[in-house]
Amino acid sequence: MATLSLSSRPLTFLRPNRTKPPLHRLLRHKPLASSSASALTPPTPRADPSPTPDPDPTPLFLRSASHPVPAAALASFRRRAAALVPPSAPHLHRHLRWLLVDAAADPSSDPALLRAPLDDLEAMWTRHVRERRPFQYVVGNEHWRDLVVAVREGVLIPRPETEAVVDMIRKVEGFADGWWADLGTGSGAIAVAVARELGHEGRVFAVDVSEVAVEVATLNVQRYGVQGKVEIRHGSWFEPLEDVKGKLMGVISNPPYIPTDDLPGLQPEVGWHEPKLALDGGKEGLEHLLHLCEGLSSVLKPGGFFVFETNGNKQSEFLVDLISTKWNSSFHNVEAVLDFAEIKRFVTGYRR
Amino acid sequence: MARALLLRVARYPPLPTSLVLSHSQPRLLPLPPLRRHAPSPHRFVPLALPASSVSTSSDAPSDGGGGRKGGEDDAGTGTGGCVDYLGMSDEELMEQCEMGTFKASGPGGQHRNKRESAVRLKHRPTGIIAQAVEDRSQHMNRASALSRLRTLIALKVRRPINLEDYTPPVELLQILPLKSTVRGKDVGPQIGPNNSKFSPGMQALLDLLFAVEGSVSDAAKLLGLSTGALSRLILSDDSLRTAANELRALKGLKPLR
Repeated sequence: MATLSLSSRPLTFLRPNRTKPPLHRLLRHKPLASSSASALTPPTPRADPSPTPDPDPTPLFLRSASHPVPAAALASFRRRAAALVPPSAPHLHRHLRWLLVDAAADPSSDPALLRAPLDDLEAMWTRHVRERRPFQYVVGNEHWRDLVVAVREGVLIPRPETEAVVDMIRKVEGFADGWWADLGTGSGAIAVAVARELGHEGRVFAVDVSEVAVEVATLNVQRYGVQGKVEIRHGSWFEPLEDVKGKLMGVISNPPYIPTDDLPGLQPEVGWHEPKLALDGGKEGLEHLLHLCEGLSSVLKPGGFFVFETNGNKQSEFLVDLISTKWNSSFHNVEAVLDFAEIKRFVTGYRR
Repeated sequence: MARALLLRVARYPPLPTSLVLSHSQPRLLPLPPLRRHAPSPHRFVPLALPASSVSTSSDAPSDGGGGRKGGEDDAGTGTGGCVDYLGMSDEELMEQCEMGTFKASGPGGQHRNKRESAVRLKHRPTGIIAQAVEDRSQHMNRASALSRLRTLIALKVRRPINLEDYTPPVELLQILPLKSTVRGKDVGPQIGPNNSKFSPGMQALLDLLFAVEGSVSDAAKLLGLSTGALSRLILSDDSLRTAANELRALKGLKPLR
């Protein structure tokens, strides 16, 4: 019934070298109420999984609430959007509620002030339900620990499992005034959470090879006012850390660890929309983890701590075994640590 | 052999050594004489929680936000009654809990995008279940669920006390109004229901009230308060009032209003 009209708003991009998306790509959305069948099981994954570029890279929840919409129109959007939710996906109702929380300054006012034109919201919702675009990319944030972390296409959405990493390193002796590296920082979630707990001398070097990650991490660092504690460095793993070699109190990383062979079977929200760069761990998923293990001893100071997130049990066991045999002279107390689902999710240890 | 030590698996959060003691302690001690009542499974379902911890999510599971008794264990008859759960740190308490929601959820980590942040904690020794669904971050929900669990433990787990030689523990003194005659000056300001230290005091108060068979005036005497002052304290918190009235109902006493 509803045909979506394109916003007349000019398309703006933060990154000048990015090419404009062809307009027809923005027109791909199907009319909202045409069909509600099997939204959760799209028949075939698209051959080209590259996401449609968002016309505005500012996360929705941070845009100004400058689009007045009569309460009745918002209510009718709410009904249309709810009608799209298949019974098999009750969590989408929660997403819809959160979408309105994030997209409106005060959803109960009349007119409500929205952060995007209603048509855009409608298109975003359709893409979430039909194309399985992650909800976090729709609203532009993920609630992680006590933070609201800005995210967008091109950075990994921080996972609840990873929240535990911050608690682990906080217990390390000398944590508060140490220098830490977060390798593959992505959105910068870990770096910001750690920085907020550091003392006067403490620093985090947040490293990422992706330009989008550097942009998003910079935004998050600024939003939480921890510029004085977090230094974002563009580059691959240890490369931008030459000047702090042997000086780090700890290394934290949630590197890509999914075996390449497992990528096609991923949940669509992940496999179709999140960056391969942040997921693909190569053969056995160990490529980057092994590289990290090899570089550890040269950047950590004696007594320094490391924690890596892994694909789970097998990978963690393998790494613990490897580090405590092959590099036994460099590390001690190497162990696998369980996540909340009792999966051996992390590998931790200390430099001798 | 050294390797075997290195290969040990830690759990997050790490198991504190003190916990091993508190775990084994109740099994070593003979069971205390049971003066505690075993609450029936349905009794605590409509339990009113402090306003701060009431779930606001409309899609909460049917037991969302509140607490109910688990099936297999029983707070009133288990070995756990004499353990000071509320004196444990969050980590120690967490160690005794199962986070049931996430058990069979596949490989997790980078594989999964499910904004499934609801946390349901089952406290193994008592079977008490607490959950939180209202926040969008799992971390925050875990914190809410844990604080809710503390409240529920305070309300449900009764520990025997010896009335012959009773001195109120400091956590109870802290929630008493300043005019209490047994409350020393060093106890500090009165702690209210919104403070996390209220739960241990509430537990001790209910323990006492249970020991005196629900009589507010008997309890008030032991606490150096007038009956009216203690009644007002009990009525100041919905969950405390509900628990006290249930306890009184068991003894055939009229509810406090």
